[in-house]
Amino acid sequence: MLRVFLTITAAALIAAAWIIWDRTRGPVSTPIADFSAPFIFGRFAVPPDNPLTEEAFSLGRHLFYDPILSGNNQVACASCHVQALAFTDGLAKSPSLSGGELGFSSMSLANLLWGQERFFWDGRAASLEEQALLPIQHPDEMDQDLDALIGELQTSRAYRKMFRRAYGEVSADNIARALSTFMRMLISSDSKYDKYLRGEERLTAQEEHGRKLFMAHPDTKVSLRGGNCIDCHSQFLTSGFRDALDGFSNNGLDSDEDLPDGLMAVTGNPAHKGFFKVPTLRNIAVTAPYMHDGRFETLEDVMDHYNDGIVVSDTLSPLILEADNAPQAGQQTVGLRMTPEEIDAIIAFLHTLTDDAFLTNPQFSDPFEGGT
Amino acid sequence: MKLSKFTQITLTGAALMVCGLSAAEAQNREESQGMVLLRGLPTLDTKHSVAIVELDPESDRFGEILSEVEQPDMQHPLHHLYYSPNGRLYSTGLDPSCSLAEIGLSRDASGTPVIEGFTCLDTKGQVVGEDIMWTTSNGQEYMFVTFMGGTGGDDGGSVGVFDTQTNEVVKIIEARKSQIGEGEPYIMYPHGISAFEDRMVVTSTIHPDMVTGVGNVLTIIDLNTLEPIENILVENEKPLDFPSSPVEVLFARPSMHADIEPAILANTMFGFETWKVPYDASSKTFGEAEVIYSGVSNETAVPLEFYGTEDELFISHALPGVVKRYELAALPELVSTGPDIVADPGAHHMIFFTSASGRDLIAIQNNLLNLGNAADEDPTDVDFIADLNAHTITIHDLETGERIAEVNFKDRYNKGVDNVEGLFGSGFVHHH
Repeated sequence: MLRVFLTITAAALIAAAWIIWDRTRGPVSTPIADFSAPFIFGRFAVPPDNPLTEEAFSLGRHLFYDPILSGNNQVACASCHVQALAFTDGLAKSPSLSGGELGFSSMSLANLLWGQERFFWDGRAASLEEQALLPIQHPDEMDQDLDALIGELQTSRAYRKMFRRAYGEVSADNIARALSTFMRMLISSDSKYDKYLRGEERLTAQEEHGRKLFMAHPDTKVSLRGGNCIDCHSQFLTSGFRDALDGFSNNGLDSDEDLPDGLMAVTGNPAHKGFFKVPTLRNIAVTAPYMHDGRFETLEDVMDHYNDGIVVSDTLSPLILEADNAPQAGQQTVGLRMTPEEIDAIIAFLHTLTDDAFLTNPQFSDPFEGGT
Repeated sequence: MKLSKFTQITLTGAALMVCGLSAAEAQNREESQGMVLLRGLPTLDTKHSVAIVELDPESDRFGEILSEVEQPDMQHPLHHLYYSPNGRLYSTGLDPSCSLAEIGLSRDASGTPVIEGFTCLDTKGQVVGEDIMWTTSNGQEYMFVTFMGGTGGDDGGSVGVFDTQTNEVVKIIEARKSQIGEGEPYIMYPHGISAFEDRMVVTSTIHPDMVTGVGNVLTIIDLNTLEPIENILVENEKPLDFPSSPVEVLFARPSMHADIEPAILANTMFGFETWKVPYDASSKTFGEAEVIYSGVSNETAVPLEFYGTEDELFISHALPGVVKRYELAALPELVSTGPDIVADPGAHHMIFFTSASGRDLIAIQNNLLNLGNAADEDPTDVDFIADLNAHTITIHDLETGERIAEVNFKDRYNKGVDNVEGLFGSGFVHHH
């Protein structure tokens, strides 16, 4: 009998010690298992105080899908960033809490480790960590008070544990870090184009024609026809360029009278009026409608814009203004003046950027399976 | 406007200065990291390897090997590195078991580049891979590789045509001197390779054993038929009493600079000369070959590589170990743009990049082949010409040529250095 009592007491003491140790130990930093990113996507840097870890990713994934982040507990990040739509929402402009619509289209979240180091269409956030908290607090988006959110999260044993393991305490900074880690891990690198780049799959003749047009700036002097895409969308990532503000551009959507501020609202530089972030074209076939305000419903509409619908304004990209495959045809319109076959080829190539593995990756899916 | 890699690098450097990045952030730059092929030295008990090394003298990690994969089972090392237009990294190889390889690169969770390893490719018996280029034949892009040993024999040599997706051999272009008719064009010991429109040129250098035979011609290949159509003799002075041994070749062309008149430039390893062969694109005919640079007259020897930036052409001369610089727009004439960049004996391959503070730099790899000393019973001493083995990469200011720093691989790593390439791709505009 005494032996049984001693055994039970010892087990209870061990269990208690384990619980105390688990609740008082510092964060755990488990490197992301089997992490590997394509070399050709280029250099990336993760903030030293927010390395990519399994614990941070798991916490960020839960937060991303949890409507607890909104003031009314009904809107999650995932409400406007749907995995099957490459983390867009399929709407021209996302709905606002007041029943109207927001000013901009929901941006795709893919390959954020690369490309521009400023976020939002107008580049108003200088880091993912800074970006992550802004929609949460925006009165038309999630309308959440951060102190209130921290209080709510602290009432959850599961969240307390996840925060403890990932970072230590529940705090606004750590919410931002976790969401950023989840978003940084949204790597799309298994499309047909990626497989082509790795030598695993061939493009069709039409897709290859489109790829060549995508990569070429037209030059009639040497009979080079081009879609001019690569001047703004990089060769492998198909996102905007990383250096300085090269990844922002005025792509000829509006006249000077109607031109929104765009990047100028952030930099104060009139030369940046109408500049918006050049988005990734990864999974572009599933992210309609297009442009910062979702004005184009289809890729055909987008190509029509670039082909003969460019609106000239003072800050229009000169790379777009001068890109013309048939300058001898007259100057009634500004655009690429490609043939219908060439436009179809570029669209065919854009479809090779769809990464089904990314769109269905269970690691990026809702961990709550329908409820918080 | 599309910017060349060199211009992008330059602008990146300028942007870093403007943005005032911290020293720590500046250390994360990769533009100054080089891919190198290192040769194990038998007397020092080291293995061949492919590695990433920091080459910015302003970096705390200057000269450090950041990632490395050894080739423990190969007697001879990998030889020359090339990035394909799709960003795949290839290397030719001197070992018959691995005459061509694809090197795997990736990034870890911190973003650090990692060499994953290399895969030796099936060359269908072609050995001793040298140079690679990607160009089209009848509208289809292929990877063309020169194999100095070809499929073997005393007069071997081939140009392998590979599928760019699968790396499979599509065709082997061969024309043995001993098997063709008198006066028919042949391919023998090909090394350098370059092309313009539908004409390709390869050189005839030397049998891989360095004993059996030495070449003295260029071979023109018709890219429509993938057959050799012409030999052009490039031999004049014989300072070593050997055939001239043309090595690297550049088909100067208007796509490099609008002012360039098409012509072949070829360096002769044992003739010490640079040759020019004018090309008339309208008639598809080559003019008379002529010497436009004499090493004997200028006291240089073993001219090797051609590299170009936006506005200059650079030619390395292994002895005394200098890189000469010329106006790109003036090609095919060699119009000097400044004093020689004084490197080390064996001056060979080079890359261009900017330092963390934005200074334009050139890194020169100084080593040919004879790494060891026969007196030490080192079998790597082939000793056909002396003192081509500094084992260094020297770093110079690109504008002034001033020597800023060096990495001595033999002293630091007990290895020789056979090749350097920019981690991010070419780092230069024109190579060959």
